[in-house]
Order: sequence, then structure tokens, then C-alpha cells
Amino acid sequence: MVNPVLLIVVPLGLAFTVPLFGFISKKTVKYIPVVAMGFNLILSLLLIPRVLEHPLVLSIGGFPPPFCINLTVGPLGILLSAVIALIGFLVSIYAMDYIRKGSVEKYQMLYILLLVGATGAVLTGDIFNLFVFFEILCISSYALVAYFGDSLGVEAAIKYLIQGAIGSTFMLLGIGLLYGMFGTLNMADIAKNIKLQNSIPISLFVPLALFITGMGVEAAIFPLNSWLPDAHSSAPSSISAILSGIAIKIGVYGVVRVMFTLFGMPSIFHLLLFIGIITLLIGELAAFGQTNIKRMLAYSSIGQIGLIVFALGIATPYGISGGLFQILSHALSKALLFLAVGYMIYRTGSMDISTFQGIGRKMPLTSLAFTIGAFSLIGLPPFIGFPSKFLIVRAALAKKEGILFIVLIFLVLFATIIEGAYFFRVIQVLYFKENKENQDKKDAPFSALVPLIILTVFILFIGIYPKPVMKLLRLASWELLNKMDYIKWVLGAG
Amino acid sequence: MTFLYNYIYYIGCFGLVFIGLYIILVKHNLIKIIIGLNILDTGVNLFLISIGYIKKGTAPIFSNPGINPNRMVDPVPQALVLTAIVIGVAVLALALSLAIMVYQHYGTLNLRKVKQQRW
Repeated sequence: MVNPVLLIVVPLGLAFTVPLFGFISKKTVKYIPVVAMGFNLILSLLLIPRVLEHPLVLSIGGFPPPFCINLTVGPLGILLSAVIALIGFLVSIYAMDYIRKGSVEKYQMLYILLLVGATGAVLTGDIFNLFVFFEILCISSYALVAYFGDSLGVEAAIKYLIQGAIGSTFMLLGIGLLYGMFGTLNMADIAKNIKLQNSIPISLFVPLALFITGMGVEAAIFPLNSWLPDAHSSAPSSISAILSGIAIKIGVYGVVRVMFTLFGMPSIFHLLLFIGIITLLIGELAAFGQTNIKRMLAYSSIGQIGLIVFALGIATPYGISGGLFQILSHALSKALLFLAVGYMIYRTGSMDISTFQGIGRKMPLTSLAFTIGAFSLIGLPPFIGFPSKFLIVRAALAKKEGILFIVLIFLVLFATIIEGAYFFRVIQVLYFKENKENQDKKDAPFSALVPLIILTVFILFIGIYPKPVMKLLRLASWELLNKMDYIKWVLGAG
Repeated sequence: MTFLYNYIYYIGCFGLVFIGLYIILVKHNLIKIIIGLNILDTGVNLFLISIGYIKKGTAPIFSNPGINPNRMVDPVPQALVLTAIVIGVAVLALALSLAIMVYQHYGTLNLRKVKQQRW
């Protein structure tokens, strides 16, 4: 019997043994995250068929659900945990060669803790536990942003830390208010107690607002995202890939879980639509003006988060599947982009796009990976970005609410055009410009090419054959839309 | 005055929360901002404690039959606060160590002068 609690316990245990292994031999340390995430990936994949049959609810401590801390492993949780494990596994392979400077043990330990926080946050069914895992994720990412200890990284980390700490305090305040009202921390139990029809009383609106602001900082939705470009561009590239691919998605997951499962009132979902569109436009427009490649990718992440939030705000089964599909596609594509860019920066020694002239011929595989990631993010057909964006557009068009959705879809497609423009500009520099200085550059080493190739294969394969993923996503969207089912899983039929 | 008497804990803790937020938003010195974060944290912790608090309540020890369950203080918020304090300490320690590094790199703790990166 495979137990979902192992998804959290095994990596957490391994994270704290990293310094011990470092004591024995410095060389073994870099394999530990690979082992931990490989284990998580296999376990998540093994659990998927069982979870699809019936969601697993695990009570810890021997009490029945409303009184204990419980793990609620539904289709959404297991899907996200598999994505986290996959990206974490590939990035840890990449980091084996990439992270050489500094104290590697600390890096690997914080790296595993970050992923444990993410996995725990998506699996838990207890709102305070969600906060704790969220904090594990946040604290390790603050530290990892400043890993190189250079002036840019430190500045970004302190900005991120101040905003993140305020955000998590707001979240704790929201938890306190809900606990004061309902006397429970179990999400299903709180959801059972909140019965909203069309209006929201002020006593519930305040915690909702606190949750959205608190988790919105980590999710980088529009007015709360000023930390993101700094943090994502100053971190080591492997960490940028994890932050863009995983960490901000956990923020979105938190916002969505609170809005759909805890509150579940249709009229607040429109808020998500507008936040999403504004975030999308701001992110893409800011990305267009960048000359630093990593800042460009970071702004593009803001834009993509906007698109995800927009899709989830549509709140129909197709809309939510589209949003979750976009989470998957953005995680794969953005991880691929950051990883590819990591070695381009390593070889040229600069983050300026204009220094990458002619890299396409000298580093063919890395450049090809970058190109595929960029095409996928824009949403060109054979790649994974196409079905996900198509699903979102289709869901928005199916929502017959007059002119509103037509305008919103127009804005989404407009943002896609901007996205296309800045990515094609980089691809042009890579392949169609010549530069004498870049004659002697080698391709990325083997350990970096393996994750790039695997990510590319995933992007192509799911892009061509999206059916099995779609089925999983439909069940996950069912979990979000049907608050009553969620309550029934955890608390039983009563 | 009864209002003040009944809700003094809530008034106090939200006072601390707003003082903390004010400090973080207005001050430029990094150390002051970190102190502000700590005051904010303390306010929230006090709030959590006061949710479960009963005046003249006792600890919930069920093996002692003499205690009336209505007089017991809710233990859950206290467990939450314990966790929240630990998290707060971790964030504070990290913030202070980053402050040291900011000072090493920029020679100042004034956040107005630490701006290599901007939109």
C-alpha cells in the first residue's frame, strides 16, 4: 500500500540528511534531490489511478477528519504534485553540473525544502497546514534567490522577503478570523459552514480579501507582483525555473482553493477575470521592453499567471481545465526556457539579449530547446501551449455573456501577439545574426541537455496527443467546481 | 467602557498590526522595517491567542475532573501561535542576515538607495 504521506515525509527526511551526506563526501550531495524527486515522481504516478477511482483522505494522529490534520489527495492535488515532482526531478539533474559555486549542501537542502513545501501545500486539507507548507516554500525561496550572494540577488531577496512576510501575515490573520468564526481549521469543515448565495457578509469578506492578498503576493497577481522580476532574474537559473514553474503556481493554487472550495460563490469569480486580464497585459507589455533575457522571461511569467487566473475565473469545467492545462504547459515551457537560457548566460557571461548573436549555430541543442519553449509559450500548434490556450479561448467563447467575454478574449489574443513579438525577436538574434565573439562557444554539458530533451519531448508529446491529460484535468476541475463533493470526501456523507 | 473592557485584546492586537504595517510602509531603514515585520507578527499572534482566550480560564487538562469544560481555554490557537512564532523567527533571522549582506554590498541600510533593479 503506497501512502500519500510519503510524498512529504521522504523528501523532508532526505532534506535534513543532506548536511550529513556532505560530511561524508561532497560529491554525493548533488544526487540527493534527484533521488528525492524521482521517488516523488514515481509515487505520484502510482497514486494517480487510485486517486481517480476514489480520492484519498488521510487523517494523521488517529482522529476522524474534522479534528485532525488531514491530507486530502484529490485529482487536483495529485496532478499538481506529479508536475512538481517532474519539474523538480529534471531541474535537480540540471543543477548537478550547473551549481558549482557556493555551498552546494545548503543549495540542495533548501531546494528539496522548497519542493516539499509545494507538494505539502497542494496535498493538505487543513488551512493552517497550508499556511505552514506555504511558509516552508517561501522561506526557502527567499534564501535561494540570494544564493550567489551578489548585490542584485541580495536586493531582490530582501524585497521578496518583506513583501512575502507581509503576505503570509495577512494569510495568518485570515485563518485566525475564520477560526474565530467557525472553530475549525479543516478546509472541508469551513467550506461546509460557509453558505453563500449572492451577497457576502463583511465578516466573510475580510478573511477572503486577506487570503487573496496574502497568497496573491506569492502568486504575483497584478498589484502584488513587484518582487517577481527582480527575484526571478537574480536567482540562479535552475532556481528561476523552479520559481517560475512551481512556486508561483502554488500561490495561484492557494487563491483558487480558497475562492472555489472554501467560499465557492460564483459572483466573486468575476474578480479573478479582471485581475487576470490586467496581470496578463501588464506582464506582457513590460516583457516587451526588456533587454535582459531573464527579466523578459520573468515578466512573461507574470503574464502567464494572468492568463491562468483569467482561465480559472471563467469558472466553467472547460475554463478550469484550460487554466490547469495552462499551469502544466507553463511549468514545462518556462522551466525549459530558463534552463536553456541558464547555459547561454553561462557561456556568454551576459544576460543581454544582444550578446546572444549567433549562439544558435554554436549551441544548437540549447537554442533548439529555447525555440521550442518559446513557441510553446506563444501557443503554436504542435506544442503543449496550443491545446491549453485553445481550451481557454474556447471556454471563454462558450460563456455567452454578451460583449464582455469577446472583449476579454480580444485582449488575451492581443497579449499573445505581444508575446510572439518579443520571443521571435530573441529567436532572430539567436539564429540570424552573426557575431565574431561567439565563435568558440560549446553546447551545454550532457547533464543539462538531458532535462532539456526530456522537457522538449513532454512538450511535443502532450501537444500532439493531449487526450489523457485532458481527462485528468476534467476530473481536477470537477474537484474545484463541486464544493459539495469535496466536503463529502473528507467528512463522509453526513 | 464595557466595550473597551470586553474587546481590549482585539483593540490591542489590531493596534499592533497597524503599527507594524505603518512602519513597514513608511520607514526607509531596513532594520526598522524588520522591526515593523516583527511587530506585525506579534500583533497577529496576539490576535490568535485572544480568539481562544477566556477570562479566568484554565488549561484544558481532562484528567483533572474538577475543571468545568466551559472554563477551559481553547488549546488549538496556542498550538498555532507556537508554529507561527517559529516561522516568524525563521523569517526574522533570514531578514537580518540579508540586511547584513545588503550593508556589505551597498554600504547603507536605506532602502531608498538600494535600487539597482527597477521595472
